[in-house]
Amino acid sequence: MMKTKYFLLTAVATLLLTTACNKVSPIGVLVAGTGVEDRVEMSSVYYQKYLDDKDFAIVEDEYSFIVGADSHVTTDPGRMDEMLKIGLDNDDMLYAHLGDIADTKPQYYIVLDSLLNAAKKRYVEKYYDKDENGYYTPKGEDSNEENDRYTFDEIRYPFFPVVGNHDLTHNGWGMWSNIFHSSFYEIDIAVLQGGESYIDHFIFLDTASGTLGRKQVELIEDGILDGQKYKPYRHTFIFSHTNIFRPSLWQFASTFSREETYFLLNQFKKWNATMVFCGHVHAWDDREFDGVTYLTLDSMSEENSPNPGDYLVRVNVKKDGTISWEKVHMSYTKKNK
Amino acid sequence: MFAGFSAQALAQVYCGERIFDGEHKNEVAGYVDGGSNITTGGFGGLAVSYTRHLTSRWHVRGDAQFQFGKQLFSIDAQAGYTLPLKYGYISFDAKAMYSHYHRWDFNETVMNLAATWESPYVDIRLGGSYIHFQHTRDGYSEPITLTFGIGANVRKRSNPWNLGIFFRNYDEFYYENWNINWGLRFYAPLPLGMRLFGELNVRPAGSISQLASKYETSLKLGLKYKW
Repeated sequence: MMKTKYFLLTAVATLLLTTACNKVSPIGVLVAGTGVEDRVEMSSVYYQKYLDDKDFAIVEDEYSFIVGADSHVTTDPGRMDEMLKIGLDNDDMLYAHLGDIADTKPQYYIVLDSLLNAAKKRYVEKYYDKDENGYYTPKGEDSNEENDRYTFDEIRYPFFPVVGNHDLTHNGWGMWSNIFHSSFYEIDIAVLQGGESYIDHFIFLDTASGTLGRKQVELIEDGILDGQKYKPYRHTFIFSHTNIFRPSLWQFASTFSREETYFLLNQFKKWNATMVFCGHVHAWDDREFDGVTYLTLDSMSEENSPNPGDYLVRVNVKKDGTISWEKVHMSYTKKNK
Repeated sequence: MFAGFSAQALAQVYCGERIFDGEHKNEVAGYVDGGSNITTGGFGGLAVSYTRHLTSRWHVRGDAQFQFGKQLFSIDAQAGYTLPLKYGYISFDAKAMYSHYHRWDFNETVMNLAATWESPYVDIRLGGSYIHFQHTRDGYSEPITLTFGIGANVRKRSNPWNLGIFFRNYDEFYYENWNINWGLRFYAPLPLGMRLFGELNVRPAGSISQLASKYETSLKLGLKYKW
């Protein structure tokens, strides 16, 4: 009896000591997955390589964008398709997604990829003209200008997701990164307004593991997302899968540790963030903290939220620089099997 | 049912963490700790604690800590009532804690109520916390947070030395939500009535599938003296 006890204790001690190093995680030893450090390392390499992609668009006067969360796409991507159609119909500048896009199985990412390709075709048809050589030019612009001629692949479809925890299990990161490449990135929108120009900043954080990871913290502390001091951002919008605020006693709390919660809230304030969008908890919450608007979105998945409802958020950035946001209704219901 | 068991009588065969041993009304403890976490990198600090057993069942306690790296200062006051049972005892504790996270300029206030059942080999804790944090002009009160913990030892609590494991969502100076930390703990006798104690604490990030990432690893080593 005593020997068994010591054997068990030794086994637990060995597990603890191995998990105390950075290479092995407590559950990672049992469940395969790509940790946040590796994801951010891969993403930062991609980020540096495609730094020019940061400048996403130049707009005049005003624009809008939509945000959705936790679509958990399986075999029926109806709600995801609806979100992209809503964005296209309303001429939203971009469509942001707060993670848990597909629901862990590889075949669901194939469904998602096909859906995004179909949506991109609709997007290109609406906003571009195709010339006789197969090049695309933005509608209303002179097709002779070399700089404004693109191949289909060169056109950037404005779907910007963050990664969620359901995107990681069963080696989901391999599928996710194959489609979206980077889990930690930023884009800028330049706004031209009456002879003045402003830059609005969009930051996409990798919080899928309930932590930023040391590498991402260091990149943030090094100021990689701070912008340039001579030209401060007008608005900063931040997107995170893991929520910070708990919607109610009956909902799951944030899974950020206490120190990381305070680090993030302080960092958002330092960035002079206008709005922070979170998902993960599948419940709605909106609040102001330190002058920043925090919206936690309900799941838009037809499985989790089977009834039609206001699952999306549209943010309107107006001519005078002020912001308003509204909930956007989704009406798709799950197909009968 | 419990009338026949006084804390003093139990103390002759059983020595728990909270129970009055029938002889020493004062306890002082201090420890050093250090480790590394995602947010701050390396950190280390000192903590002290004083307990006064007012009666065989009532005690009051105060703790303080300072952490370099985290730039964290905490102080708390506690009061507890211990009820002997046929097998171990149950204690009810109320705690008020204030922490200042200087690195991010956050002030945190916690009120915790918890019940702990401690037997010679196993201890279980259940309770709830009210947590409020304040940053510059704004504050936020979290909905009541569940406190839970479980621990197990290889020897009876009455043994002069012990080794055990624990699994819980709190530590002496923080209360988490879903973040569960776990690790090893030990104590051993020293001359002059002192006791050496320590913990290896692994604190994963997130919860459930998010646990695949580690948040913090730390070690504590301390001394306890009773008189």
